[in-house]
Amino acid sequence: MFALPLAFTVPMALAALALLPALYYLLRLTPPRPREVAFPPLKLILDLKPKDETPARTPWWLMALRLTLAAFVILAMAGPLWNPQAAGEGAKGPLLLILDDGWPAAPLWDQRIAAAGERILAAAREGRASAILPMSEGARDATLADGGKTLERLRALKPAPFIPDRSAALPTAARFLAANKQSEIVWLTDGLENGGAKNFAAGLIETAGDQPVHVLTQEKPPLAISGTRNNAVALEASIVRPVANGQATGVLRALDLKGAAIGETHFDLGSGTETLATFTLPLELRNDIARIEILNERSAGAVTLLDSRWKRRRVGVVSGETSDTAQPLLSPAYYIVKALAPFADVREAKANRGDPILALLDDQVSVMVLTDVGVVSGAAHDALAKFVESGGLLIRFAGVRLANASDDLVPVRLRRGGRVLGGALSWDTPKALAPFEQESPLFGLAVTRDVSVTRQVLAEPEAGLPGKTWAALADGTPLITAEKRGKGLIALVHVTADTTWSNLPLSGLFVDILRRIVSLSAESAGAARGDAGNGAVDQSANVPPTRTLDGFGALGPPPVTARPIPAFYEGASSVDHPPGFYGPPDALVAVNAMAPGARLTPADVSGLKLQIEPLQKSAPIDLRPALLALAAALFIADAIASLWLAGGLRLLRHTPAAAALFLIFLIGLFGVPGPSQAQSISQRDMDAALRTHLGYIVTGDAKVDEASQVGLANLSRVLAARTALSAGDPIGLDPARDELAFYPFIYWPIAPERPLPGAEAAAKISNYMKQGGMIVFDTRDALSVRPDGPPTPEQAWLRKLLANVDVPELEPVPRDHVVTKTFYLLDSFVGRTTVGQTWIEALPPDDGDGANRPARAGDGVSPLVITSNDLAAAWAVTRGGEALFPLTPGSPRQREMALRGGVNLVMYTLTGNYKADQVHVRDLLERLAH
Amino acid sequence: MVETRLLGPDESGVKARHETGALDLARRLPALAVAAKEVAATVMYGVHGRKRPGVGETFWQFRPFAAGESTSRIDWRRSARDDRVYVREREWEAAHTVWLWIDRSPSMAYVSSLAMQSKVDRALTLGLAAADLLVRGGERVGVIGLMRAVASRGIVERICESLIAEERRSAHASELPPAEPLAPRSQAVLIGDFLSPPADIVQTIDAMASRGAGGQVVMIADPVEESFPFSGHTEFRDVDSAARLRAGDARTFRSDYISRLAAHRDTLREACARRGWTLLIHRTDQPASRALLDLRIRIEAAQGGATIAEAQ
Repeated sequence: MFALPLAFTVPMALAALALLPALYYLLRLTPPRPREVAFPPLKLILDLKPKDETPARTPWWLMALRLTLAAFVILAMAGPLWNPQAAGEGAKGPLLLILDDGWPAAPLWDQRIAAAGERILAAAREGRASAILPMSEGARDATLADGGKTLERLRALKPAPFIPDRSAALPTAARFLAANKQSEIVWLTDGLENGGAKNFAAGLIETAGDQPVHVLTQEKPPLAISGTRNNAVALEASIVRPVANGQATGVLRALDLKGAAIGETHFDLGSGTETLATFTLPLELRNDIARIEILNERSAGAVTLLDSRWKRRRVGVVSGETSDTAQPLLSPAYYIVKALAPFADVREAKANRGDPILALLDDQVSVMVLTDVGVVSGAAHDALAKFVESGGLLIRFAGVRLANASDDLVPVRLRRGGRVLGGALSWDTPKALAPFEQESPLFGLAVTRDVSVTRQVLAEPEAGLPGKTWAALADGTPLITAEKRGKGLIALVHVTADTTWSNLPLSGLFVDILRRIVSLSAESAGAARGDAGNGAVDQSANVPPTRTLDGFGALGPPPVTARPIPAFYEGASSVDHPPGFYGPPDALVAVNAMAPGARLTPADVSGLKLQIEPLQKSAPIDLRPALLALAAALFIADAIASLWLAGGLRLLRHTPAAAALFLIFLIGLFGVPGPSQAQSISQRDMDAALRTHLGYIVTGDAKVDEASQVGLANLSRVLAARTALSAGDPIGLDPARDELAFYPFIYWPIAPERPLPGAEAAAKISNYMKQGGMIVFDTRDALSVRPDGPPTPEQAWLRKLLANVDVPELEPVPRDHVVTKTFYLLDSFVGRTTVGQTWIEALPPDDGDGANRPARAGDGVSPLVITSNDLAAAWAVTRGGEALFPLTPGSPRQREMALRGGVNLVMYTLTGNYKADQVHVRDLLERLAH
Repeated sequence: MVETRLLGPDESGVKARHETGALDLARRLPALAVAAKEVAATVMYGVHGRKRPGVGETFWQFRPFAAGESTSRIDWRRSARDDRVYVREREWEAAHTVWLWIDRSPSMAYVSSLAMQSKVDRALTLGLAAADLLVRGGERVGVIGLMRAVASRGIVERICESLIAEERRSAHASELPPAEPLAPRSQAVLIGDFLSPPADIVQTIDAMASRGAGGQVVMIADPVEESFPFSGHTEFRDVDSAARLRAGDARTFRSDYISRLAAHRDTLREACARRGWTLLIHRTDQPASRALLDLRIRIEAAQGGATIAEAQ
């Protein structure tokens, strides 16, 4: 419309601007009110005829102000929009919104939804329908709907926790475009090649024909964690991004399975696209890490879940040979240590520490590797058997010693002697490995052809042998066998750990196999997987999803589309396998959005005919409210100016109250202070929480409140003098406003002429009583109440107050109620008067066997006590010992008894039914003495 | 722009501040010895009430008529009650009597942003200060219509009391003093704004001076009332009547107003001069002490002149 990004929704209203000159003329004619001046010598000139009756013109600035005001109002009526959405120029057909909704879109999801929503709204304004095609549901046809429905659908979309394949969406888009000619095509891309961006773009352009394809790209590239490694000293996480711009630094946080933070580390990508962040933590803590996430990067890709495969095990290696450090390459332990060191803590037995097996078991190893140890006996055997029974993993390598004699800590019975293949005396060639069976936990490892076995120990063929076999040679003889024993597992590799029997230890497969086996050593891994019986680990079972990540990286229940994964699934997430934890809680398998080592590559769509626009185009701003506010401000300025011209401000100067009102009015107009968000805790509440205070309700009746204040202060002093409770100063409370929870005991004198507190106060009282507080309601009407008479005003007031409160059944305080025994032994609770009845929560009916019990108590503290004796007036004695109120009838003992009643009530509140049990102490002590 | 306002009823009354203000002001001037030189012979240091018959205003005694006296001195009313003929003797008074009058009408309760004080405040301060000065100089001071002339040291308090009492009695103070003749050889000090119609004022002065009393008229004016600094669309409002004057541009009234005011003052000045009185114009943006000094000089001069005239 103009060079400015400004548009009007109702441009017709601008025609009213033509009326401004007329307004100008009118305003000129109507001068402001004359200034009024008192002038005592007026009589001198009263008879003068004014020479110039024409009043002064309206000052030009006031006129300008008013014209501006009118112009603002007219402009506001025209509905100005800053940055209008310049969408759908030339497009006649519907809008097709293609949405990349993989996890890379999650960090800026809200902006994407907003941008998409604007497009839909812009189309709706022009009466065009729209359709959304999210990539994760690319195969589903995009249905055309009006703006409102499409918006609803858009808002219901959530990012998928994987990177969807865009090719699926291409046919759908083509079908849509074929059905709807001249569609406006908008593609909100995440800017990543992952998922086939280039092919999709090319296909889309081809399908669109001459229609332009608008692409909205985001500026900020997503960050992701591509794999973690738990090495010897630290847990390393690799952080990647597609292009080197945007956020380069951040914080990586490690959490355990329960979501508690274990550690945080900073990372800095600098100008690169990849970096390593390390958590340098003790091994035990590192093993607890179940989740690593990039802080403030809300996407599934910024979260890595770790299962037991990432845990570092402590592996003990014991060799049967006399260790010869001079020739390390001949030592079988050398290859094992080399293979295991990157992912486990390997301990070798020290030569001078007695039995090496016992020494290593004392080191709390979770995996024990024995190379060519024939027979373990004695204490070591028992300890090792126990270790396996209780969940340890024992890996044995064969050798000449084992070939000659073996103990029972082997998975299969072994034939003596073994066999030699390809030797001088045999006609067999060295055997290669057979591919791993699907049942084997080693399934999935690539078998290299260059592994050959020249000698091995042989298992006796027996019934369960195939089930125990994890790996076999090409001729079917088992190479690795395993058996579950107790909670643990014993695995036997039928060749040596050095190169004398085979070249397996030289191959990369050796490392993988060891890693797989060691990773089985989770405490109860065998128990979880090996329910196929007979000790063989059943690896055929797929594990179902337990908790999966959503696109934002939050764990939740798995979606219905999630399918089980095979154990040791190592791929990236997909529709069927969303990232998350799979399997039973004690043997979780983690699937991550980013496969280890995966890269994020930026989409390269250069050379394609795309109209690329930034995603974060500034949103259209409706200028109407601002203009109207401005007009209102001008209106006020005009009012003030008029007032000033008429001399009205003079009045303000001399009447401070009016000036104050005016100021308040101005402040209320311009500087309405927002409601303070931070509900700061008042100092009083903090004090009350730290020290016990008696509370009383401020009724508003000054006399009653003074009695409560002085009375409770005196009661606090009495309590401090006689009991262990030293309460602070009593605190006056407003039931509607103040937090009552800090006060265990609240005294509420009834002042019937005061208004009832509101409904929220009743709710607070009810809540307070449920939380265990006690309120003493004092109707103070013992002298005016008549039995069978109409209720006194105090009683009526109290009834109205308690109408909405959950009040338990009440009874007059029975003589054996624990409240009469908590500190003093009392018959009744007297106050300023003695004749009133005191009511308390009814005790459960006496079950008969407690006839000789001196005190009975309910389960808790009665939430309320109602008395009419005006207790506080009797307690009210000043610090100087001067009583504020006379008592009726007024014996000196009455005041003392009133205070004792108060002490008992407070003690009852604080100790509950403790005293009811305490009465048995003498019996208990006597019984103990016997 | 000049701001003007009327004081509220609670602001315009007589207050302690007037009393202390007046005393402060009076203390700054030396005691007002009225025409010391001339009075010395006849007045004996200005002490009052010589307790013997002589020239004075108040009754002293009746004495039998002595032969050879002027028959005009016979008090016929007393003589008629008896067989003898009596002469009424007056106390020999050394001091003169000064009669004070302070305008407290609504038009006085007026102050503009240019003034230091409202007109009524200034008038009260000035009047009370003059009273204090005069009493300390041995004169007797009374308030016309309110208080007889006394020479008490606490004259300020007494005048204040009587003014307050009068305020309580009547809500509306008059604009001019009662037009009654004052005793000869007494002095009148009239303090007010004297904005009433000139004929009334002239008549009042004539009446008061009809028996030969001297007088000083102090005309208090707010600076706004002299300079008329108004402009623009203004509506003027009278303070003690409902009269209003709307001016399209107040500036056009300025020259007329100033010439009228000058004419008004000329009329008053002429009326005063005819009776031997003086007119003192005092603006509230000037210090009060200046007016008091002027007033003192004039009272001294007037009394001196009167005494001389009498002595001759």
